[in-house]
Amino acid sequence: MTVNKIITDTALGESYRVIKHKSGLTIMVLTKQGYESTHAIFATKYGSIDTSILRENGGFETIPEGTAHFLEHKLFESEDLDAFERFAKTGAYANAFTSFDMTGYLFSCSDNFKENLEILLDFVQSPYFTEETVQKEQGIIGQEIRMYKDSADWEAMFNMLRTMYEKHPVRIDIAGTEKSISCITAEMLYDCYKNFYDLSNMVLAVAGKATVEEVLEVADRMLKNSGGKRAVREFKKESPKPVCDYVEESLPIKVPIFVLGFKEDFENPERTLKQVVSTEIIHEIIAGRSSPLYNRLLEESLVNNSFSNEYFYGFGYACSMFSGESTDPEKASAEIRKEILSRKLNGVSEKDFERARRKLYGRMVMGFNDIESIAHDMVKSDFDGYGIFDASEICRTLTLDDINERLGEILCDDYTVLSVVKPLE
Amino acid sequence: MNRPELKSIADSVSVCHVKTDRFKTCKICISMALPLDGDIAAKAVLPYMLRRSCKKYPSFSEFNGRLDELYGAAATAFVRKQGEAQVLGLTVTSIDDRFALDGKSVSSDAAELLCDMLFDPDFDENGTFKADDLETEKRLLLERMISEDDDKRAYSVKRCQEIMCENEAFSRNRFGTESEIQSLTPDRVFAAWQEVLGSAVIRIVSVSSGSADEISNLFSQRFEKIDRAPRDATTQFIPDAKEVKYIKEEQKLKQGTLVLGFRCGMTHKDEFDPAMSVMADIFGGGTYSKLFSVVREKMSLCYFCSARLDRSKGIMLVASGIETANEEKAKNAILDQLDEMKNGSFTKDDFDASIRSVKEGLLSALDSPEVWYSNQILNKEIKTPQERLSEFESVKFEDIREMAQKITLDTVFMLAGTGEEDDGE
Repeated sequence: MTVNKIITDTALGESYRVIKHKSGLTIMVLTKQGYESTHAIFATKYGSIDTSILRENGGFETIPEGTAHFLEHKLFESEDLDAFERFAKTGAYANAFTSFDMTGYLFSCSDNFKENLEILLDFVQSPYFTEETVQKEQGIIGQEIRMYKDSADWEAMFNMLRTMYEKHPVRIDIAGTEKSISCITAEMLYDCYKNFYDLSNMVLAVAGKATVEEVLEVADRMLKNSGGKRAVREFKKESPKPVCDYVEESLPIKVPIFVLGFKEDFENPERTLKQVVSTEIIHEIIAGRSSPLYNRLLEESLVNNSFSNEYFYGFGYACSMFSGESTDPEKASAEIRKEILSRKLNGVSEKDFERARRKLYGRMVMGFNDIESIAHDMVKSDFDGYGIFDASEICRTLTLDDINERLGEILCDDYTVLSVVKPLE
Repeated sequence: MNRPELKSIADSVSVCHVKTDRFKTCKICISMALPLDGDIAAKAVLPYMLRRSCKKYPSFSEFNGRLDELYGAAATAFVRKQGEAQVLGLTVTSIDDRFALDGKSVSSDAAELLCDMLFDPDFDENGTFKADDLETEKRLLLERMISEDDDKRAYSVKRCQEIMCENEAFSRNRFGTESEIQSLTPDRVFAAWQEVLGSAVIRIVSVSSGSADEISNLFSQRFEKIDRAPRDATTQFIPDAKEVKYIKEEQKLKQGTLVLGFRCGMTHKDEFDPAMSVMADIFGGGTYSKLFSVVREKMSLCYFCSARLDRSKGIMLVASGIETANEEKAKNAILDQLDEMKNGSFTKDDFDASIRSVKEGLLSALDSPEVWYSNQILNKEIKTPQERLSEFESVKFEDIREMAQKITLDTVFMLAGTGEEDDGE
């Protein structure tokens, strides 16, 4: 049976439809009046952190690092016309991405929506891998891996993650290594496909000009039935303490880069949306553009406009990151830690809280301009078990007590890692 | 969305208002174009100085606090190079009044703030920019300029352009030189502010549900008090290359970057032929292009290899990230593909795919009108995406080969990687 519900946010003036399709797939559609184009993402809850498969005997079996990303590259191919060639005939812009916890295939178009959706649903459901094509891809992905190895921002972040997490696969590169991908075979890709690309493990999110009727007409025709199998993730709790508190690398750059991470300790592998929104408000209060900390760091020439923060979280990992360029990363890091300790001691004031809440709320509203970000939010929120309006609702109703309580749980000064990428001597 | 009108409010100052209620935001972008000459560094730092504070909200914290109050309104400053024009700008984005939690008007406050930034800077007792603030912004601009070189692809493209256009104004950095920035004084920035207000060609683009009159009146009152003597920026076009220049640099990198710079036969900015865009797109645009489908997919030489046409200067650049040892092979492969274009070895399918893709890009521009219209600052008249589209629809298959034959190779730049081989870890 197809279940169908409409979710509306009257304050935002938006609504969308969630359909549990009879095939097992969750379909979400947000139609935007007056928009010219449509953005569609067909995604599976399978990313770089999924480095093992649960077998029928109940045990987890390891797969090579970078397999999710490799599979993403190869799924575009088929026995005759590959997906790119098919999209070239409709004019859609098509692409794909692999992140830590998902793989998504997408297109955006203003014309021929149904035809494009048909191609998307078809190629993602039709794996075609041969040893020859797998081998050819190793050269292309090898260059992609090298490109990232030369990117100081990327290295600074992954060095931090590798130092923060001893076991959790968030520590590995999304594309794997040249060595790990050399072990990948066509057979292995079919095996992963079978495990992670079951429609019950996937979402189709559509935002823009297209209507629910158009989406369903194609979905009814194109979707195969799933085996009803949702992939299971393995959670091994690890020590709240990072492996080490400092890591550095040298690259041919001119301005040093740092990432300061605070590892979060928890029992349950997933964060609630309330924890996420509260943490983002706390980050804004501590290190936002109007914060005393940012202004002090600027005046003392310790950071520049690249200074930013992120609450980075997913299944089994969560940390607060403060990063940027700095001529003195250790001093900048010490200042940030000092500020956080003092904030934790004194608590957050009503005024700071209101200001940060307003800003975050405004930015959430602005996000609803962009159909690409709406489609991404729909995918992510479904995988995380929320609706796309829930975050702005939480933002409207949070209290100062919630914030101060959350502040007590996170940003522990004993669990930090400073990662620095320096210029070569 | 109706066709926006261009309304002149002062000599070479025009307002382009796009009235629509389909966005959650109200955006105003003011762009100011000047010839790429004189005190480039002083003009480059100006938008960043104006973005710090204003008389009404002196100090960086107060100014940013004001933005937070306006529901996280975003103010950004930018400096870009368009042909041989230096384009300076300020943008303010706020939520539309309909979404304010307290029912107050956010958009007119945001527009007012933008006016204050431009016309009422936060001067010191001597009536000029504050020396302390300038020192901070000088540092930030320098670090921004230096760290741009840490992105190796962007650096290689920039170097290729500099070498190719060494005797043209185009080779100048949009921020000036390091020493020009270091020597900046408040008086020079003050002079730049006067120069910009008095002589830049200025376009204000707003996208909101409000009326055109509101924006026009706000700005025309301020411009009434300014003596205007506008200076148009003109660009030097060199239609074809004489002999090929070759420069190789080495850095300790894992991947090399090869950039080829071409001249496209243009002698004036107004003689641009849309067929040239289509040619560049078939050659190195989308996934159906020669460079993607042959150099990347068939030959597995790289992860990225694409061509970008800069119509405001009449040049085209091809960039590719490759194994350093493959320099000759990649260069020959790229030039072979260009020869294919010159010989007419491409199909009607390739042509149709490109036209569809161009059309797709133009239609989706309707979803971000502020960018579309701001980019047309150097043209006296504006064109809607639909009007531009009709020009492309008249491009004929036969025109493409003729366009390819106008292309000549001017410069080859190779950033060779000398980093040690990675063992995969």
